[in-house]
Amino acid sequence: MRVWDTSHLLDDIPPHKRATAEHVYDPADSQANLQQIRLHFKQLQTRLILGLVLGFLLPNALLSAYFHFQFTHTLKESAKLNLAAVAESQKNTIDLYLQERVVNLYNLFHSKEFSLNPTQEQMDTLLASLKHFNDGFVDVGFFDTRGVQIGYAGPFPSLRSADYSGESWYRNLLTENKSYLISDIYMGFRKIPHFTIATKQVFDNRTYVMRATLDPDKFYIFLRAISQGKEVDSTLINHQGLYQVVDPGRSQLPGTGDYIPPATSASGVEEFERDDQKMLVAYAWLKETPWALLAVQPVAVAQAGMIKARLVLTVSLIVISLLISAMIYFTIKKLVDRARRMAEKGQQLQEMLAHASKLASIGELAAGVAHEINNPLAIIMATSGVIRDMLNPEFELDHSPEAIYKELSVIDTAANRAKGITRKLQDMGKSRVPSVVACDVNVLLDEVVSRLKKVEFKPKHIEVISHPAADLPPILAEPEPLRQVFANILINASDAIADKGTITITSEFREDTVWVTIADTGKGIPPENLQRIFNPFFTTKGGGRGTGLGLSIAASIVKYLGGTIKVNSIPGTGSSFTILLPINEQAKTTIKQHDN
Amino acid sequence: MDTLRVLIVDDEDDFRETIVKRLNARKIQAEGAASGVRALEILKDKDFDVIVLDVKMPDMDGIETLRHIKKLKPEIEVIMLTGHASVEFGLKGMQLGAFDYVMKPAPLNELLDTIGQAYNKKRGLIH
Repeated sequence: MRVWDTSHLLDDIPPHKRATAEHVYDPADSQANLQQIRLHFKQLQTRLILGLVLGFLLPNALLSAYFHFQFTHTLKESAKLNLAAVAESQKNTIDLYLQERVVNLYNLFHSKEFSLNPTQEQMDTLLASLKHFNDGFVDVGFFDTRGVQIGYAGPFPSLRSADYSGESWYRNLLTENKSYLISDIYMGFRKIPHFTIATKQVFDNRTYVMRATLDPDKFYIFLRAISQGKEVDSTLINHQGLYQVVDPGRSQLPGTGDYIPPATSASGVEEFERDDQKMLVAYAWLKETPWALLAVQPVAVAQAGMIKARLVLTVSLIVISLLISAMIYFTIKKLVDRARRMAEKGQQLQEMLAHASKLASIGELAAGVAHEINNPLAIIMATSGVIRDMLNPEFELDHSPEAIYKELSVIDTAANRAKGITRKLQDMGKSRVPSVVACDVNVLLDEVVSRLKKVEFKPKHIEVISHPAADLPPILAEPEPLRQVFANILINASDAIADKGTITITSEFREDTVWVTIADTGKGIPPENLQRIFNPFFTTKGGGRGTGLGLSIAASIVKYLGGTIKVNSIPGTGSSFTILLPINEQAKTTIKQHDN
Repeated sequence: MDTLRVLIVDDEDDFRETIVKRLNARKIQAEGAASGVRALEILKDKDFDVIVLDVKMPDMDGIETLRHIKKLKPEIEVIMLTGHASVEFGLKGMQLGAFDYVMKPAPLNELLDTIGQAYNKKRGLIH
């Protein structure tokens, strides 16, 4: 606890300065502080949650995307390979089938029924032997060297004696080195789709041709049989894109395919669109005939496994992300809430502490005053005791009237001293009769500034900028205390400035109140001091330069006028004091009451 | 019984002289010192049984003077005299070895009682 030697304070303070132990306490400041703390923690919470969520989820998402890409790629490739293998195996089966049919036909040349001039009976036998090997054979024909079908067995007897020398397959077979030929599906003389296997054999330097027709329906059934039922649509197609199989029951020539495989490579896998659906197609060119086997599967079917896996991956990623985000959100919220509550409690404690220190300073002031009065009281008591001793014969003291007068004058001196102290205290607490006049705040400010410029501002480079309001109404007050308010705040502003700075004085009138703002570019007030600056005896000016009473006096003068002082300060940037002086009847009545 | 020797240390002249006068009238050998420094000078030449020491004095305050006294002559009992409306300085003095404290203003009887108790304590220690 500090000891207040109030005697020097009493000497220092002119009687017109009212120093009370009050300071301007604005409950709005406390609310503002709490709001600021809440805002700060809210921002902190948002930053923490966003940072952590990004920090956790971003690597997670990147890793998932990478694995997803790899997985998709692998699965796509494996779907393609799968389809290619199907196409290849079906191609081989069909090749083998066609080779067998060629051999069946070729063997007829060497059968014992064969003759260069076959009878109908012989031809029927030949067809029967063909059908024995494969029921796909429809008919069989034998051609002489001119290209006329001289022998025929089958369902179209009208074809006997037909001249085939103009048919393209016949001409190709004769001109090419190959000993057999498999035609594309064509309509031919009989006007229904079919395809032909033809072989040639030379007898006595003359080339004879044997030909058999295969039922496309049977071929189609064979193709279906080898499709393995894997949701793979297998078909055959030639270079021109014409299908080389027909659905059973369709007698017209099969249609054109929507996909023509490239002739340059023997096999491959590609994607194409069919009816807005993405299809995967594997092709393999047959060895025996210029047909390609197409194995077609919708991409959705080929990649069904992958799509399912992707769905599981995506859903679990979203679920895990949501879980992590929720965990982060609730953990951070809980932690920040706890920290915020502690900060708020700390703020409340600080305010309570400020209040307590204010009470303590009142107590200290009272204790200091008591000490000053106790000293003369002790003298009075001791001296009256001496007089009593003098009058007591037992002590054998000099009890002449002169001696007693001398002691009484000691008592008078001490009593006067005590009276002086209480008089000064009264002066502090109670103003002398005030002379209230209409004060022009702008004029008062100018007077104070010009006075300060001569002494206080002189050692420093201080630029004073004034923005006086033109429409300022006069304030009913004593001019001197108002000057004191402005001077105290301006001196503080000047003290806050180290060497060079600016003090801006603004006055304005709004809401029935005169606002005077004094802003400096000084060192500012640390937040922990801000609540104490109005306390009496609080000072940061070292070397005995400050009494700690300037702002306390200013605050009580302004409060007395019904106003308030607001402070804003940013340490390192400057402080701004705003003095609010109301122009209302209440202020006038307060002043008048005080006059009485 | 030896005469009780008391030193009154207080910067208030009126108070100090009056008390000295009253103690002397009661056959107590009392003497005054206007400051802590003066008290220490007197102590170099003379012995006392009890010292009554004001807490608040210019230059060297009572607490500081008490420290010096206890260093110089630890057997002397010291009574702190405080005008401060707080027991804090009295208690602080007692922590530093003072016998007791008396609040100003105090009736003489109270001061005499405390001086007597301090004297008895000192004699009890020595004899």
